[in-house]
Amino acid sequence: MGVIGELLITAGLILALFVVYSLWWTNVLADREAKRQGHQVRDRWAKAPAGPGALDTKDGIGFLHVPAMKNGEVLVKRGTGTDVLNEGVAGFYTSPAKSAMPWDQQGNFTLAAHRDGHGAKFHNIDKIKTGDRVVFETRDVWYVYKVYAELKQTSKYNVDVIDPVPKESGKTQPGRYLTLTTCTPVYTSDYRYIVWAELERTEKVDAQRTPPAELR
Amino acid sequence: MYGWIWRHLPGNAWVRALTSLVLVLAVVYVLFQYVFPWAEPLLPFNDVTVDNGMAVNQ
Repeated sequence: MGVIGELLITAGLILALFVVYSLWWTNVLADREAKRQGHQVRDRWAKAPAGPGALDTKDGIGFLHVPAMKNGEVLVKRGTGTDVLNEGVAGFYTSPAKSAMPWDQQGNFTLAAHRDGHGAKFHNIDKIKTGDRVVFETRDVWYVYKVYAELKQTSKYNVDVIDPVPKESGKTQPGRYLTLTTCTPVYTSDYRYIVWAELERTEKVDAQRTPPAELR
Repeated sequence: MYGWIWRHLPGNAWVRALTSLVLVLAVVYVLFQYVFPWAEPLLPFNDVTVDNGMAVNQ
């Protein structure tokens, strides 16, 4: 067998290994990191269960629970750069449009996370249907959102989807919205997949951190 | 290429096989630890945010 043939086989093996790396190994690393950081946030909450410090935006502001995605809890941190998202967390937008916070009186709480690899926290975003509940957990409050619109494919330059009032979702009045963004189709990033939800109710966190009815 | 490496490894067949295995594992380690993390951001598989095409999303 010639040297060229051996080189081609080697190249094929390296590409196969890259797939293994992208779809498996980055998940292992990211899940480990996300779990560690999630524990840190919960530790901090346990040490200071009341008073100021609830809204620390640096180490994670809380956890996203999406029963329809069947992936447990997702830590939410500040920023949507790869350095943040590769830790297996969801990030809230700081640019091109700044995300509102769930506790703001109005605005759009906009999140991004990986579809594949690096924890793949929004892998099952296509399983979310209108009417499903999305719950965001902070130290003191459960924010229960109800999904009202999905956009299965849009341009990656469509920044209007994260507007404070996302008109493409059909809304015209200011409100307390939640927007999830990730890439689509799976394994590529040609387009973006968007899910919009609106705040339905809030519930105070009790001493046992009993989850709201939507998560039981 | 691989034949050349095999012929230049010392020892009998068993030692050579073992050395080959270690070499393969070393290559895989270097790929996973250094090469792939470097190459990944250069490939368009993992962009998940919407942007206006110029912003660095931080």
